[in-house]
Amino acid sequence: MNLAELEKEITRSWPAGVKIQGGGDPRFLLIEPDIGLLRDLCGWLFTVASLPFCGTIAEEGAEEWELRHIFYGVKGGGWVQVMARRPLAVNTFPSISTMVHAASWQEREIEDLFGLTFEGHPLLGDFVLHNDVWQEGVEPMRHRFNARTPVAGRRPDPDWRPRRIVQAPGSFIMPIGPVFAGANESVHLELETVGEDVIRAFSRLFYKYRGVEKIAEGRSAQDVLLLAERFSATTAFAHALAFCQAVENICAVEVPVRAAVLRIFIAELERFRHHVGAISAICESTALAVAASQTAILEEDLLRLSGALAGHRYLFGLAALGGMTQDLDNKACRDALRKCQEVLRRLEGLEEMLRFSSSFLDRLEEVGFISTAEARNHSLVGPLARASGVVHDLRKIQPYSGYERFSFETPKEREGDGYARLRILFEESRQSVQLMEQVVAALEPGSVEVPVRLRAGAALGWAEAPRGAAFHWLRLGEDGRVARYRINPPSFINWHGFHLSVENFAFQDLPIILATLDLSVAENDR
Amino acid sequence: MMNFTIFLYIMAACGLGIILALLFPQRQSPKVIAWFGSLTALLLIDGGGRALFAASALEKTLWTIPALGPVVIRLDPLSGLFLLVAGVVFLAVSIFSGSILLSLLQRYNLKVYALMYFSLLAAIIWILIAGDVFSFLLAWEIMSILCYLLVAYKYEEDENSRAGYMLLVMSEAGTLAAALGMLLLAGHAGSLEFTALKHAGATGQISAATRWIIFLLTFFGFGVKAGLVPVNLWLPRAYTAAPAAFVPLLAGATLNLGLYGILRFNGDLLPMLSVGPGLVVLIVGTITALLGILYATTENDVKTMLAHSSIENAGIITVGFGAGFVFTASNKPVLAGFAFLVALYHMTNHSLYKTLLLIGAGVVNERAGTRNLNRLGGLIRRMPITSLLFLTGVLSIAALPPFNGFVSEWLTLQTLLRSVELLSIPQKIVFALCGAGLALTAALAVTCFAKAFAMGFLGMSRSKKAEEATEPQSSALASMAILSVLCLLLGILPTYVIGGLNRAIQPVSAVNVAATLVPPFFSGSPGHEKLPAAFRHDFHDLGAQVGQQIAPGPGLVILHRGGAKNPVIFAAAPTYLFIVLAAMLLILFVVVNLVFGWRRLVIRRPCWDGGIRRLLPEMTYTATGFSNPVRVVFQSVFRPTIVEDTRETVGVHFRTAIRRQDENTHILDRLLLSPGRKTAMATARFFAGMHQGRLNAYVAYVLGALLVGLLMNHLL
Amino acid sequence: MSQWVRRGIQTGIKTTAYPKRQETAAGVSPGLPIGGDYPARTIAELIERCPTQALSEIDRRLVVDYRRCVHCSRCRNDPAMAVVWQQGYEWAGLAAGGEQPELPGNEFRHSVNILVVDAGDCGACLHEVKQLNNPYYNMHRLGFFITPTPRQADVLLVVGPGSDQMRVALQKAYEAMPTPKRVVAVGTCALSGSVFGPSFVSAGGIGQILPVDIEIPGQPPPPLAILHGLLAVVGRKAPVALTSPELPVIPKERV
Repeated sequence: MNLAELEKEITRSWPAGVKIQGGGDPRFLLIEPDIGLLRDLCGWLFTVASLPFCGTIAEEGAEEWELRHIFYGVKGGGWVQVMARRPLAVNTFPSISTMVHAASWQEREIEDLFGLTFEGHPLLGDFVLHNDVWQEGVEPMRHRFNARTPVAGRRPDPDWRPRRIVQAPGSFIMPIGPVFAGANESVHLELETVGEDVIRAFSRLFYKYRGVEKIAEGRSAQDVLLLAERFSATTAFAHALAFCQAVENICAVEVPVRAAVLRIFIAELERFRHHVGAISAICESTALAVAASQTAILEEDLLRLSGALAGHRYLFGLAALGGMTQDLDNKACRDALRKCQEVLRRLEGLEEMLRFSSSFLDRLEEVGFISTAEARNHSLVGPLARASGVVHDLRKIQPYSGYERFSFETPKEREGDGYARLRILFEESRQSVQLMEQVVAALEPGSVEVPVRLRAGAALGWAEAPRGAAFHWLRLGEDGRVARYRINPPSFINWHGFHLSVENFAFQDLPIILATLDLSVAENDR
Repeated sequence: MMNFTIFLYIMAACGLGIILALLFPQRQSPKVIAWFGSLTALLLIDGGGRALFAASALEKTLWTIPALGPVVIRLDPLSGLFLLVAGVVFLAVSIFSGSILLSLLQRYNLKVYALMYFSLLAAIIWILIAGDVFSFLLAWEIMSILCYLLVAYKYEEDENSRAGYMLLVMSEAGTLAAALGMLLLAGHAGSLEFTALKHAGATGQISAATRWIIFLLTFFGFGVKAGLVPVNLWLPRAYTAAPAAFVPLLAGATLNLGLYGILRFNGDLLPMLSVGPGLVVLIVGTITALLGILYATTENDVKTMLAHSSIENAGIITVGFGAGFVFTASNKPVLAGFAFLVALYHMTNHSLYKTLLLIGAGVVNERAGTRNLNRLGGLIRRMPITSLLFLTGVLSIAALPPFNGFVSEWLTLQTLLRSVELLSIPQKIVFALCGAGLALTAALAVTCFAKAFAMGFLGMSRSKKAEEATEPQSSALASMAILSVLCLLLGILPTYVIGGLNRAIQPVSAVNVAATLVPPFFSGSPGHEKLPAAFRHDFHDLGAQVGQQIAPGPGLVILHRGGAKNPVIFAAAPTYLFIVLAAMLLILFVVVNLVFGWRRLVIRRPCWDGGIRRLLPEMTYTATGFSNPVRVVFQSVFRPTIVEDTRETVGVHFRTAIRRQDENTHILDRLLLSPGRKTAMATARFFAGMHQGRLNAYVAYVLGALLVGLLMNHLL
Repeated sequence: MSQWVRRGIQTGIKTTAYPKRQETAAGVSPGLPIGGDYPARTIAELIERCPTQALSEIDRRLVVDYRRCVHCSRCRNDPAMAVVWQQGYEWAGLAAGGEQPELPGNEFRHSVNILVVDAGDCGACLHEVKQLNNPYYNMHRLGFFITPTPRQADVLLVVGPGSDQMRVALQKAYEAMPTPKRVVAVGTCALSGSVFGPSFVSAGGIGQILPVDIEIPGQPPPPLAILHGLLAVVGRKAPVALTSPELPVIPKERV
């Protein structure tokens, strides 16, 4: 169903009670159902129309709450925004999570940070703000909350206990983290078990919650770009790009062709570097030391290449509102491409060797399985979802920055195990270098930045980050400052499905499964 | 005649105990048991000791029953050892009973308990000093019934009564089998007296087939009490059901009676002439030990776990017996002596540490409100003395030096290795396999008891009551302390213990094993010269003469010294090992304390928990989790059936509960009991089906039976 | 498996010569701006542009506080008033109140175990710390090892601005370490809070939670800078100034 057919179908199914607005952007279908129909409509979009769920955005307006459930992936491109409003005094919304499971964490986050209640959601509270640190009733995303100063008078729940759902004689919780094993990001995992096999896995996230969405409010768009770039540095450029595109969408700015092409070049370089790093982490988790070292060499080569090309190993400070901060000259790009091709050649050599290392494959194959149905239910994104047969590549289904001009394949696997995810990483690396080749060939002279005249408005920006689809929703105020910023990063979406892959596997598979899932905590925690 | 007088006193003390218990109010019954039981036990220790070290076996005919022959009392060193062990166990249990029984006061009649307690004591003594089949069987029957009554003492719980019935049925079947075997032998001897039986056995009038039958009947008949596969189905159930004050007796006293029966009849009265029965004993022992420890390792109820562990230990002892029987039949009297000696050593040890552990389990259950290891934990901080004493029991049973379990298990394994001296290859293979099985058993035992101690006493308390547990009364601690000290002594002074045990095996082994096993190596006596010069020289170089200065005595246990071609030595010096260990620990302590300063070196910080706000008890390993690898590896034995595997969800994807439960049916239940029950039920149904109420049918049955009878008569 | 051994040997030695010789490969460092004499108007304009107040004017000279610089490049992207950037990486400096490292022969002369704690890091600093294990940097050759437990750690390496919910973990880890111990704050976030802190959920640097000894600026500091910091902890390299040009006292934070 494309957007027009979808609109027709909705009017047919709900002749009354559903308002459909075209909105300014033809790519967006804005639907506003009666509050009582919200759950059914979203459920219909998710299950019958099979649209993947993008995220929920809550906004505290002057008089009313505005809630948007966004779906994407409409055939032929397009988004569906389902809008719900409630007066500020009534801070409850019907929960759509029982119909749209992917919305569960979105609603939990909103409940925790705004103090909104979602009727019918079975699992609210103790999510972003841990109840063993914060008392209930702190609502940091409300306008009245002062983000600058620490909250005085903490009254955490002294009797806080982890929620246990496994009822088996002798079951216990295996706690991992937040500080664990070597140099890992801070996350607390609780594995419920009776020994050996994990019966239920639970991730307690947000140890690193930095309130990026809150501290962005009131800052200038220029400064928030720094936040967008720096909240998850291993995929910095993709997020910076998504943010810039949100601003550009608000201000109706068309970036110069050269800047758009260079953006693709850098984005693919970042994807390539990230994937090589992820492959290295997988090799390391299986204790295949030489392969880990070899891929680490390649990763460092790419980091140095980025540093030499753009001045920063993690590609900070490149994306600008309306283009790029600096023009990369064609020769430098060609040289960089040549080096990337060289790295890819070596990577493919290693891939060939890995494919015949049985001790390595034994630990990946049929381990950390995620089914296609579950991947859809959780609307998983990125290589993780692709390994389970759910493609959702924003570069294809919702092209930005001129991706539609280039030809590339998005790989897809069906097995959903660790090895499938590894194969996706290798194939995407190949596609990235192949894209960079096309980009370098397409480089034309021109400026790389246009001035952006900031104006009030709201828009969604998106990019296919190395870990999957990243959605940045931005509202600029009259003064050009950020009024509301919402990041829905791929890791937040994918951590929701973390337990799927771990349960019913043994403890000792956990590090390997975590490595193949390639979930970033920084990206999730914001 | 001195000994008999003592036994007269003992019997009198038992009687007095019964009378006093009946006279005093119920509240005082535990005290009566504690004081009079201890007194009797002390007398028993004295009598047993005297019998053990008596110059010759004593025999006395009390009176003659016209139809059955004389009632004989017979005291030889073998009985003496069993009496001695029973005395020690009864001493500890009597002291312990004084405090633990009070908890039963509200609901059960303690006078009855005291009555049964003293009767049981008397019956056990009678069994051990019986010198004829009639009085032996009579006492045995009394003991069996008393055991049933005591196991089912807490009759208010159905489970206990069921366990009691199980015990009664199996034990009666066992008694019947054993009695049949004994009577077969008696038939050949023409008398019921043991002396006559022994004479009949020695003169070799009995055919090989009859010997086999007698062996099988007595071995499995007595095996019921000893807890051997496959006739031990009752044992874990009975241990779990029995009152805390009585379980130690099941493990420390009545289990030994089964072993006594086996040894008395198959070692003493009717010695083995062929290796076959010995190999059967060996294999049954190994399987018993392995199955026992497997189920013990995966069990979380301390009491049930100790029950399975008793099975394991009975298996190890039986392996010793089996080796002894084979060596006897192969005409290796010294090796046979070794084997019997180490088996009895292990039996003594098992009685001590199992009594200790079961008393400990009783204390824990009383103080922490549960026996489930998953709900215990952290007791070492609440009950440090109990924990320490329990730990000595755990170290002993896990066969770790310097405790007694180590010595006897090591000796058992070494004895099995001596099978190289056998000529037959298949026999060697059986020995090797059994040795491997025993080694696996020993390894699993360490796992099992590491779990028992770690999950029960270390870590965090997993229940409110465990968190608030307190030390028990001093009488309970005293009884445990006595046993702990004995465990240690038997572990560090084996050279002296072996001397005593050497006397006990006199009836079953003709040679003086102690001289070979513990030559007076360090004591410089003339026996010194028996050892090869090179061997002495080597030990001299190692500084053995220093050991002589520190502790005189035969400090070395030598199991094998090889031949001229192959001069290997299997030897151990547990006494010196202990001295050296203690000295090294002391030196280390002094050095750390004085030279470095303990305070400066030790920094105490809370357990590193990965940085979470509070480590909760539910985040620590449970006993189930600890033993799960064993459960997974031996899945083919356990064959768990999944009873429940469900999940509750809200809105399809939100899980609110995952329920998982599987059930282990004991392999013997699965293979024997259930099919047996099914067959019995089917047979019953078949016969029930014959009751049609029609006269014709019954006439036909009678006719058929008559025909069959006539036919059989004709054919036989 | 032999193929892997062969591949490993074929690769040869990749490891940097640092600290014996300086590493000269391109792209190992993002660089930092150099302060000094600039026209007055340029200085004012630059200070205006800097999003994190890393630039200030003292005695009519442009002073760069490396503890606050986030490499946004805004002070060098405009060719009209470009600040010169250095391309070095020996950036680690002594924190205010930090313990002065002693020269060789001190308590850390043997191998040093490091506990890494992530207190709200964006992933970059942590990633650079991990790079220290790759063949290019291979910190094991210098006796540095990452340990999973504070029980055997000598150095606590903290990345991130100090997020509120990691505060307990951070303090617990520090307390669980045996003495003598040192705390190294890695990255601009850990030094000053960077773009994130101070706020309602972030401290303005690790110094507000733990006594920091060595500070390593950079967002993220390249692996060689972290290596320099570690060498400074054990007294095998001298720490350097955290401002450019060097100031006797680090300027107070401006609001």
